[in-house]
Amino acid sequence: MMKVKGHSHAGARSHSARVFVGGRPCGRRLFFHLKATDHPSVKVLLPLLLALAAAVPMLWALSAALVQWLDASAWQALWGDPQTLRAWGLSLWTGLASTALVWFTVARWLASGFMRQQLGRWLAHVPALLATPHVAMAIGLVLWLAPSGWALRLVSPGLTGFDAPPPWFTTQDPWGLGLILALWLKEVPFLLWVAATQMQREDLRRRWQAEYALAQTLGRTPAQAFAQIVWPQLALRLRWPLLAVLAYGLTVVDMALIIGPATPPTLAVLAWQWLGDADRAMQAQGAAAAGLLTFTVLVMGVAMAVVRQAVAAMRSFGRRGGLPQRHPPARPAVVCGSEPLRPNGLWTAIVVIYIAVWFALAVGSVSGVWPFPQLWPSLWTGDAWQQVAGSAATVGTTLGLAVASASLCLLWSVAWFETASRRWQQVLRPVWLLPLVLPAVLWVVGLYSVALQWRLEGQWIGLVLAHAVMVLPYVLLALEPAYLALDPRQAAVVASLGHGRWVYLLRVQWPLLKRAIASAWAVGFAVSVAQYLPTLYVGAGRFATVTTEAVTLAAGAQRSLMSAYAALQMLLPVLAFALAGWLGRPRQFEKIAPMKDTP
Amino acid sequence: MIAGLLVEIDRLGSATHTLVQGLRLQVPAGEILTLMGPSGCGKSAVLAAIAGTLASVSEGLQPLQLTGRVQLHGRDLTGLPTHQRGVGLLFQDALLFPHMTVVENLLFAVLGHWPQAERRQRVEQALQEADLAGLGERDPSTLSGGQRARVALMRALLAEPQALLLDEPFSKLDAPLRAQLRPWVFAHVRERGIPVVLVTHDREDVADPQRVVQLNDSQPSAARLPMPEGPHV
Repeated sequence: MMKVKGHSHAGARSHSARVFVGGRPCGRRLFFHLKATDHPSVKVLLPLLLALAAAVPMLWALSAALVQWLDASAWQALWGDPQTLRAWGLSLWTGLASTALVWFTVARWLASGFMRQQLGRWLAHVPALLATPHVAMAIGLVLWLAPSGWALRLVSPGLTGFDAPPPWFTTQDPWGLGLILALWLKEVPFLLWVAATQMQREDLRRRWQAEYALAQTLGRTPAQAFAQIVWPQLALRLRWPLLAVLAYGLTVVDMALIIGPATPPTLAVLAWQWLGDADRAMQAQGAAAAGLLTFTVLVMGVAMAVVRQAVAAMRSFGRRGGLPQRHPPARPAVVCGSEPLRPNGLWTAIVVIYIAVWFALAVGSVSGVWPFPQLWPSLWTGDAWQQVAGSAATVGTTLGLAVASASLCLLWSVAWFETASRRWQQVLRPVWLLPLVLPAVLWVVGLYSVALQWRLEGQWIGLVLAHAVMVLPYVLLALEPAYLALDPRQAAVVASLGHGRWVYLLRVQWPLLKRAIASAWAVGFAVSVAQYLPTLYVGAGRFATVTTEAVTLAAGAQRSLMSAYAALQMLLPVLAFALAGWLGRPRQFEKIAPMKDTP
Repeated sequence: MIAGLLVEIDRLGSATHTLVQGLRLQVPAGEILTLMGPSGCGKSAVLAAIAGTLASVSEGLQPLQLTGRVQLHGRDLTGLPTHQRGVGLLFQDALLFPHMTVVENLLFAVLGHWPQAERRQRVEQALQEADLAGLGERDPSTLSGGQRARVALMRALLAEPQALLLDEPFSKLDAPLRAQLRPWVFAHVRERGIPVVLVTHDREDVADPQRVVQLNDSQPSAARLPMPEGPHV
């Protein structure tokens, strides 16, 4: 119950006149007092409109794709096709193997980085790796691994005795090893980046450091403390991104076209080939194959959830005393398999491969005549770059699409985070992340149907829309941690100083989020540049971007032109990230040592 | 017209949990009322109800709601948005804007109707009162904890609030600094002649032993969930 001590009298003192002024003078602040987001109808209407604007195209596309699955004969044809089963098996193998490798690598790396307090420094490399598109990575790897590639040139003819490239399947190997390598190289930085956005959050970082220290005072080794306290919390936050990695590995088309197995290819590539067939029956079979891939991803997602539940159940069983007390609870072997942890070597290897890939693209793009065992081209030429410069329309299309879709998604995301309540955000979050989890071949089938129905197929607007659907989840993921880390008391302070919502947004919140906003835009830009399937399919083949050109050229013999497009495909996102880094740079104050209180 | 701050809370809580009920506070101008209680009893929620920031305080996902009324000098604040209430807020963290210098932080608070020169002068004076003359162009993160706390108070006062709420303003400082800062803060807010509510769980912080309200944990109504006091747990 309340217990009120003392007495509170009214008017015990006289007041200065200004206290009695009813409202405060507004003057030129009046504009900001227009309650942009305070009004109840705006509070509901605006997020509702935003949700509809994003959900309608997405769900429409999905249902359009679903309708095509009702065609029973397509499923029979798919099942009867002699390639289907092997292709499906290859997809499962490459997807699962690459995902397992990625998970293992990231877990080891984060554990070691966290324990040595070097995460921040190591993570500085990640954006550069992330900016390398999948296609450029695949092409760069081919330049090294192909029978006529640099790897063999380095040791030929000295060690091998080869005067001509051997008839080996070193890039499009039938076991999918090249694809697994390429996926591993590309997905490790992605998962690290997502983990980094969590671990660099000030509130989480502090809490985890404290809990980690506490666990050690309770007698755990650093590795145990990380594995038992920090990792379970982090792993839980990585489950969606991990599913995205798995879904990508199972369903990737562009990379698999370049470095994946060919006879038969993976199921995603097969589906893509069938979808491009002139025969409608074959197209239906392709749609069915996209359906099969979707089922596969969904089953894997459920399996992951079940495994997680089982692990959690085992842990709580252990806590309840089901296991002998002397032993520490079962710990994930991934994190502390063997001590001491040394993923530095692994990380160095990844960075070195990336640098090698960039180098190969650069040299390849200016190479002319280059007979086999020679280490360097015998003729250097800028022809390829001149040809690229001559096709300015391709670069223009690429830039236009990327700027339009990234900006659209950024505007939408900021508006969404500003207006939607926490509850709405949580409920609808899985919907916005669907493009990460469902196969791109499924999306293009659906988006093409939508474009047909809305008469947008082969048109600029339709293409921007298709890109935006694929870009949105990345922009949201890039922006979300920064929004979650905002201190709500900051807004309360600004309001208590008499400023309206707009002053808070324009002078405090957005300047503070500048860096996150700029890099979210760059991420969106990079994702758009890398799109292959939607550009070709929804654009009805009428629009060429640097990515579609690079993939097309990868099937041919024009090494220098292919390398130039791949290099450009990489250069554009790098420029976007550099621009974002410059725009988002924090304010530079005069460097002065912090002061101490001297009571 | 009633001078000072009048708060009548019939019920304060989320849809399922009642935090505070049947509370009446009356704070005359120039006086400091201390609201005490263990953590989780809803002290900070009472301040949020006065300031109109309940939307940003939530229990789980459910927003807190107030049944009752808040009056300041006879003016009903209950439905008003925070920025129109004229109620200043001070937290245990100084919450200085990290992308602004100390002077910019202070200028941010000065009312817009003052001429430019007057605004500058007010900020200069505030810096001197806070014993920070010459440090105005600094990055706030290079100030000491005590200096930051003083800037935060000056910033709140420059907005010329008609009431001030202090939410455990000393709890992050060590004991000697707290002892030093307390009388300084109290003197400054008393000088303004505005009603002040101070929330604390530390007996030492009590500003005026004649004006203490104890919020107890045991409510006769439904069981209560502990309230987070902020994101730093």
